[in-house]
Amino acid sequence: MTALIEARGVSKRFRQHKRFPGLLGAFKTLVTSEYTEVTAVSDISFDIAAGEAVGYLGPNGAGKSTMIKMMTGILVPSAGTLSVLGRTPHEQRMANARQIGVVFGQRSQLWWDLPVIDSFTLHQRIYDIPQARYADNLKRFSALLDLTPFLDRAVRQLSLGQRMRAEIVMSLLHDPKILFLDEPTIGLDVVAKDAVRKFLAEINRERGVTIILTTHDLQDIETICPRLIMVDHSRLIFDGELGRLRAALGSARRLTLEFSADPGPMALDSATLTADEGLRKHYLLEREDVSLVQILGEVGSDRGLKDVALHEPDIEEVIRTFYQRRNAAPVAP
Amino acid sequence: MRNRLAILPLLIRMHVKSQMEYRGAFWLDRLAQIISYGAVLLILWILLQKFHQLGGWNWPELALLFSFQLLAYSLGASMSFTQLRELEELVRLGAIDTLLTKPVNTWAYLIFSGLNIGYVGHIILAIPVLVWALLAAQVEWSVGTALFFIFSLLSATMVTGALMTMIGATALIWVRSNHLFSIFFGFWELTRYPLGIFPTGLQVVMLTIVPLGYISSVPVAVLLGKPVPLLGDLAAPVTLLAGPCLVFIAIIHWRYALNRYQGAGG
Repeated sequence: MTALIEARGVSKRFRQHKRFPGLLGAFKTLVTSEYTEVTAVSDISFDIAAGEAVGYLGPNGAGKSTMIKMMTGILVPSAGTLSVLGRTPHEQRMANARQIGVVFGQRSQLWWDLPVIDSFTLHQRIYDIPQARYADNLKRFSALLDLTPFLDRAVRQLSLGQRMRAEIVMSLLHDPKILFLDEPTIGLDVVAKDAVRKFLAEINRERGVTIILTTHDLQDIETICPRLIMVDHSRLIFDGELGRLRAALGSARRLTLEFSADPGPMALDSATLTADEGLRKHYLLEREDVSLVQILGEVGSDRGLKDVALHEPDIEEVIRTFYQRRNAAPVAP
Repeated sequence: MRNRLAILPLLIRMHVKSQMEYRGAFWLDRLAQIISYGAVLLILWILLQKFHQLGGWNWPELALLFSFQLLAYSLGASMSFTQLRELEELVRLGAIDTLLTKPVNTWAYLIFSGLNIGYVGHIILAIPVLVWALLAAQVEWSVGTALFFIFSLLSATMVTGALMTMIGATALIWVRSNHLFSIFFGFWELTRYPLGIFPTGLQVVMLTIVPLGYISSVPVAVLLGKPVPLLGDLAAPVTLLAGPCLVFIAIIHWRYALNRYQGAGG
């Protein structure tokens, strides 16, 4: 399969006036000709194929947004080559723009004082969307994200969740091949987040729109993106499936045993006790090969065991473990 | 290309519709502007009652200078000032990024989506004063002077728009640009008066580095057949060429700034 996006050794360095501390330093900052170079993206390479959904993940300042801005043609890379749909984005920014959709979670593209539908109409004109296709897309997406009740309302009167749903629909009206989303669920409530995630997953699955998404919310990745690209301190530190990351780290499972009467202190060979609440005891299963049957056998049937719960490590735990262990031994991509 | 131009009227319509959401405030603001510029004109009139002449210019001639400057400025600024002043904020908050991902000319989108109809107040004041002054002042009308009047006004409008674009575009590189607008308006206030009353150094500046002489003093002096300091007989062609030349420089500067754009962070 040919790659829709090819990044080869892409770097982005920003030049900033050197800043000096203190009041005197502030004056020195004003007149200095010294520069410091800040590296936001450092030697990053990856391929993204048509129809993929990729989560681009990293802590604040890791260079996620900068990478999105380079792929959308806003910023010019300092080194390396970047190709999006066979073009160099910053050189052919307009041609690139016609085939991509972009959503910035913290920046609106809708006209604040006008009804949502007015922004959509302008979008149709800017992207030359034929009327039939526009009407069809609008109808379908509006139904999926329940936009119809507020299409005629001024954007300033919408809730953040409604606005974000409108932003996402607008970004898809011209049938882009790639959809870039920079923190699309930031600030949304649980219901709105869920609606947005399900919609994006469906768009990717049904329409084959390639999705590149940056986020801090790991549930976004879990729902939408089978593939994960992780960056830290401007460098790529993991590229692969979430499942593979989980397996590579072998994060521990958590076990909770609930009893009808307190059986007293209870140590197990196959699990480590982490908290004892009397009737409820919590364990950590660090070994992969330990099964639930094995544990139940060890507890025995005469202790008044009422309920058992086994928790797979959630994505937050996996990622946290990953960042904690990273300095010791990097996981090979 | 035709399609691309076709979105411009739609952008203007949407912007006007947005502004009309606050209709009351809009008209109150226009009234305030007419009063404030009217006061400037009144002061000029009071001065002339006392001194009769300013640098060899009488009351109708100065009224012509005032109204020509106000009209050229409001036409040029409606297509540039508020939009480019706000560019600094768009850069600082990163909103310019959303514009850069659209398949449209960024400058055209910015200008037409923010076309400042607020300048209607300036125009309402400038046109009657201009018409009266053109009739009252000693202008020797011919086809040539009529054409010169129209094209020099057009050139003056272009000078305003080009300078504002160049100033605003610096925000793409340095994030901040509004201090440069303050310098612009410092010199702009001087363009209500004949160039000849200023020291030579200042005249040189206003014809070269900050070429605001071409938005009023030079074209109006040519129209009235008055001597133009430093330029002499070249004044007419230079003032007609100033607009197109500065627009050309502004386009190059805008493109340069857009390529140097680094974003404000994130």
